[in-house]
Amino acid sequence: MAKIYIATDVLGFFALDEAGNVVDKELYEKKPDVVAARLMELEKSNYVPEIVKLIERIKPRAEKVVLEDPELARKLVAAVKGVEIVGESPSHILVEFRRNFPMYLGALGLTWDEYQKFLFEVSDLVTRLKLRQAVERRDLFIAQAISTLDDVDKILNLIASRIREWYGLHFPELEELIRDNKEYVTIVYHIGHRSRIAEDALKKILPEMPEERAKRIVESAKKSIGAEMSDWDLEQLKIYADIYLNLDAYREKLATYIDEAMKEVAPNVRELVGPLLGARLIKLAGGLTRMAFLPASTIQVLGAEKALFRALRTGGKPPKHGVIFQYPEIFRSPRWQRGKIARALAAKLAIAAKADAFTGNFIAPRLKEELLKRIQEVKTLYAKPPPKAPTQPAAKTPPPPPPPKKGGEKRPPPRRERGRR
Amino acid sequence: MSIEVVDVRPHERHYGVYIVKFEDGTERIATVNLTPGKRVYGERLIKWGGLEYREWNPYRSKLAAAILNGLKFVPIAEGTHILYLGAASGTTPSHMSDIVGERGLIYSVEFSPRVFREFMEKLVDQGRRNVIPILGDARFPYQYAHYVKGVDVVYIDVAQPAQAKILADNADYFLKPGGHVMLVIKAMSIDVTAPATETFKQEINTLKERGFDIIETVHLEPYDTAHAMVIAKKKS
Ligand SMILES: C[S@@+](CC[C@H](N)C(=O)[O-])C[C@H]1O[C@@H](n2cnc3c(N)ncnc32)[C@H](O)[C@@H]1O
Repeated sequence: MAKIYIATDVLGFFALDEAGNVVDKELYEKKPDVVAARLMELEKSNYVPEIVKLIERIKPRAEKVVLEDPELARKLVAAVKGVEIVGESPSHILVEFRRNFPMYLGALGLTWDEYQKFLFEVSDLVTRLKLRQAVERRDLFIAQAISTLDDVDKILNLIASRIREWYGLHFPELEELIRDNKEYVTIVYHIGHRSRIAEDALKKILPEMPEERAKRIVESAKKSIGAEMSDWDLEQLKIYADIYLNLDAYREKLATYIDEAMKEVAPNVRELVGPLLGARLIKLAGGLTRMAFLPASTIQVLGAEKALFRALRTGGKPPKHGVIFQYPEIFRSPRWQRGKIARALAAKLAIAAKADAFTGNFIAPRLKEELLKRIQEVKTLYAKPPPKAPTQPAAKTPPPPPPPKKGGEKRPPPRRERGRR
Repeated sequence: MSIEVVDVRPHERHYGVYIVKFEDGTERIATVNLTPGKRVYGERLIKWGGLEYREWNPYRSKLAAAILNGLKFVPIAEGTHILYLGAASGTTPSHMSDIVGERGLIYSVEFSPRVFREFMEKLVDQGRRNVIPILGDARFPYQYAHYVKGVDVVYIDVAQPAQAKILADNADYFLKPGGHVMLVIKAMSIDVTAPATETFKQEINTLKERGFDIIETVHLEPYDTAHAMVIAKKKS
């Protein structure tokens, strides 16, 4: 009776004696997915049926069974009775087995090239499965993050319009001169009283501002007809402006987080439509897996549910696009092309979501290429508007207005401009 | 793209490493692209003599920095089998993959799913078949022992304390007799002349105690101010 060493491999388990000879083996069914499932367990130090079978079989001949994973050895002790099972890391016999592996392969009738190909397939599959597990429910985190981003945008707009109204009492002319909310608030926060507005001060806080515009602002400040405001009055406004700027910085971070998380969770969807629109689609679908099960026609109108139900109720025209309207190639195209482009995009998104949810393969470049080709086709085939139909279409269903947002993604409306109200 | 290439010649010492000379007289190192047309980290692709080369950026890859700083011996050539610990997004592994070619193999271990996803995209999905991706923890070699067979080189760059121990443990499992190890150590302060840090000395000591002869140590300044590359060989 002697020691028996168990070597683990992508092909299965080998039982070796103290001279390194294979005395028995238990191989997996040679299919990458079968093997991958086993290895996922082994890598968590859980035993699989094949190793139990092998140890049961060699038990009568062995006084001691040696394997390298101490945790696995402990678990096997509870599963297989009547033999001593110990962990030894590394074990000299198994080290030799690995070094001389090509020799053992020969005995199995396999060439190294065949083996390497299989090894690659299996490790590739296991890695993908693990990457998938690592991000399992992160799609729901992304859904929350994109909702938060939209909330933050609303709040930013709200704060900005209050600040514009408030500071407008003091310097009303600035309203028309600065359309970008962040620029406006930056001036309020860093400069404050209009008498302190000077070109070099503006240059310092808003280096991108064209000189000519800075000049105009300084001029208007000098001639302003607004009410006087003391530092004591300004103080409250500045605190609020500070909150705006901090919230804006948070928005930036949140957008970066969404981008990073989308890279992991839905790289294909992200590549097709950008991180923010991709995240909105996942949110509207109720998660990545659900999105992966949706037909393209549903993806096409995600976010336009109200219009869709109204159309169903009244027998009117269904909406042509939901939130995917934010895709630049759709909103920038003439009306009559949008539905066709939306359909093409939705079809690719359906494929992309499936790849992200199930296989993890990165196929987006191909999808994107096909999509762009189709868009070109639509643009040439339907260059002219169709003749007006004689019958009057039912209630127009405008797409939901895309939420205001900025940076990171191409989107329809200019960023966070003060709405005219 | 703007600057013309005027010459590409093999590196005088290192197999699979080439020196590309540009018309303005500057020179860069490069490897022959195993997957022509594909970039891994935004590096420049260079066509010359019917082959495509990938520029090897010493600011992105510590092995390139070590080579440019005069490393005398790199134990990597065509067909070499390497165990790479800390593969990250695959910058350095991709150039090794170019060098070892179809007959070589790079078992690439990384434990962060976030960075390894990029590795899969840039190396595996773009067609490299001589890398074996392993999402695992280098501190527990038995968890990936079913993939890895005997290797000629163990390379480690995991940016963690006690790297030398992790390296030696892995070498005990997988390194063939007479094989080499390569270790990126956090070692130097910004000041080149400052004495080696305690960690550096400790790591070198660990290697010696575990049966390695130190062959060479190279600082990585100016490409990397904090690290050095150490090459050692297992005593036979
Ligand atoms: C400095 S980066 C490596 C860069 C890479 N060697 C290159 O040159 O392209 C260090 C990597 O080691 C990984 N790492 C740290 N500890 C590890 C461990 N115990 N096992 C595997 N990987 C580890 C980190 O996640 C990180 O990606």
